[in-house]
Amino acid sequence: MNNLFQYVPGNSLIHRLNPITKIFLTIIICAAAFITDRLLFLVGLLAVDMLIGIIAGVADRTWNIFRGLLKIAVFLFLLQVLLTRKGTPVFWIITDQGLLTAGKVVLRLVVVCMPLALVLAVTRISDLTNALVQVLHVPYPYAFTLSTAIRFIPQFLEEMAEIMEAQTARGVAFDKAKGLKKLSMMLPLCAPLLISSVRRTDQTAAAAEVRGFHLRTRTSGYKRYPFSYVDLGTVVFCLLLLAGAIVL
Amino acid sequence: MIEMKHVSFAYKDHQPSVRDLSFRLEKGEFAAILGANGAGKTTTVRLLDGLLKPTSGQVLIDDADAATSQVSERARKVGFLFQNPDRQICRNSVREEILFGLRTVCGGEGEEALQARTEEVLKEFSFTGEEEPFSLSRGQRQLVALASILAVEPEILILDEPTTGLDYRECCHIMNRIRRMNEEKQVTVIMVCHDMEVVLDYAHRALIMAGGQLLADGPVPGIFRDAELLEKASVLPPQMIGLGMRLGDGFENACTPEAMAEAVMARRKKRSVPHE
Ligand SMILES: Nc1ncnc2c1ncn2[C@@H]1O[C@H](COP(=O)(O)OP(=O)(O)OP(=O)(O)O)[C@@H](O)[C@H]1O
Ligand SMILES: [Mg+2]
Repeated sequence: MNNLFQYVPGNSLIHRLNPITKIFLTIIICAAAFITDRLLFLVGLLAVDMLIGIIAGVADRTWNIFRGLLKIAVFLFLLQVLLTRKGTPVFWIITDQGLLTAGKVVLRLVVVCMPLALVLAVTRISDLTNALVQVLHVPYPYAFTLSTAIRFIPQFLEEMAEIMEAQTARGVAFDKAKGLKKLSMMLPLCAPLLISSVRRTDQTAAAAEVRGFHLRTRTSGYKRYPFSYVDLGTVVFCLLLLAGAIVL
Repeated sequence: MIEMKHVSFAYKDHQPSVRDLSFRLEKGEFAAILGANGAGKTTTVRLLDGLLKPTSGQVLIDDADAATSQVSERARKVGFLFQNPDRQICRNSVREEILFGLRTVCGGEGEEALQARTEEVLKEFSFTGEEEPFSLSRGQRQLVALASILAVEPEILILDEPTTGLDYRECCHIMNRIRRMNEEKQVTVIMVCHDMEVVLDYAHRALIMAGGQLLADGPVPGIFRDAELLEKASVLPPQMIGLGMRLGDGFENACTPEAMAEAVMARRKKRSVPHE
């Protein structure tokens, strides 16, 4: 679970894309998924997601993300199928319309979530921040906040796991509880988690301040983020995708 | 009694952190696990408590395989102090924190008894009980975590760096308390510790680890006299033993300042005899 957010080093085509292009690609895929109403197009988008993962050389990760999403997807699918009444019945209370809608909803979810996770896997958070600041002129404090938030997610998860472990050792029956019961047992533990993260935020802010955070400007980064032909190609591809979603 | 039988463990997608570890601690023993950072000490103690399941091998607690029961069921018997006290503290006052641990494992003893026990422990650790754990210093939080574990009076105590971050006085205080439990109630103690002076003063046995393996297992202070072994494990011997070893020649056996002084006096006497 933790390494789902970790950067995978590499030198693939996708790695070398400008971070802004990657964000653009993500946004376009999301937009296309919501604009289109055709199941086949959504399947195509899913294939695009997979292809991005394969080109980036993170096929394993792509598969893991896909599998993770699949669990939620199955749940959503069943819910949709059982609750949709429109259309002609196929079997029991299941209708053809229900199946179609459910399929679309689920595909959309998967298609939208995957590029986001993939971009995080093949982009250094620092590159993302710097590019946002340099190219899009996002104020540095905002970009820093964003990148810090992303960086803290795995730490947060790890901490929660450690806290649960510590409480198990004290006799709280986390190792026996399941599902909702476990969730309700976790709630009281959110207080220490919250406190420690607020404290960490404080410390991070202080550390940043001490190291001259406020002196940083848009031109402070030494690394440049030029656009290449590959970027251009990607943008053209994105536009085609978008056009496809609108027309089809 | 707690025993490891050919235990190996690897974190997911990682090289093994612990390899073929075997040792056995009898009831009432006081042992220390020593070794460099990353030697696998924390992993070993987590395996002992069953928080981690061995990839191969067996952990036995009182001759029962630890894998057959849940960690939370054993909390009464096995107390575990984490390297980081913040993972353990989850209540808004020190009193509540100690009561919380007591209620989860000794709930059957009645609220009154538990309250009384809590007050006792609070007094012993010089807390009023009203303090907010998260506004205490790190060392004090360590004390809170320890107090709430000792309150339960487990039969086996597993301590991951109990004295790190404590000042000398607090360090002596809690180590004396742990020693008292060990001597009076025959509590088995196993602690990870980087402070060799503490190990020398309190532990009876040392398990030395390096690279996930058990390099040596022997009595304190004897084991500290094996310079080659300590070198391999990146462990510095306690000062007096280090001094004695360097002086050699009869001084090796002195491991306290008093013993060293005595050895020096004895030597002077011996030397001065011909002059008289
Ligand atoms: N959660 C984890 N996932 C992967 N590897 C880990 C994890 N925890 C520890 N390790 C690895 O296992 C090895 C042993 O770690 P361990 O924490 O047991 O060391 P230690 O002896 O307690 O060190 P220290 O003195 O710093 O506390 C290290 O190489 C570490 O990188
Ligand atoms: Mg450790």
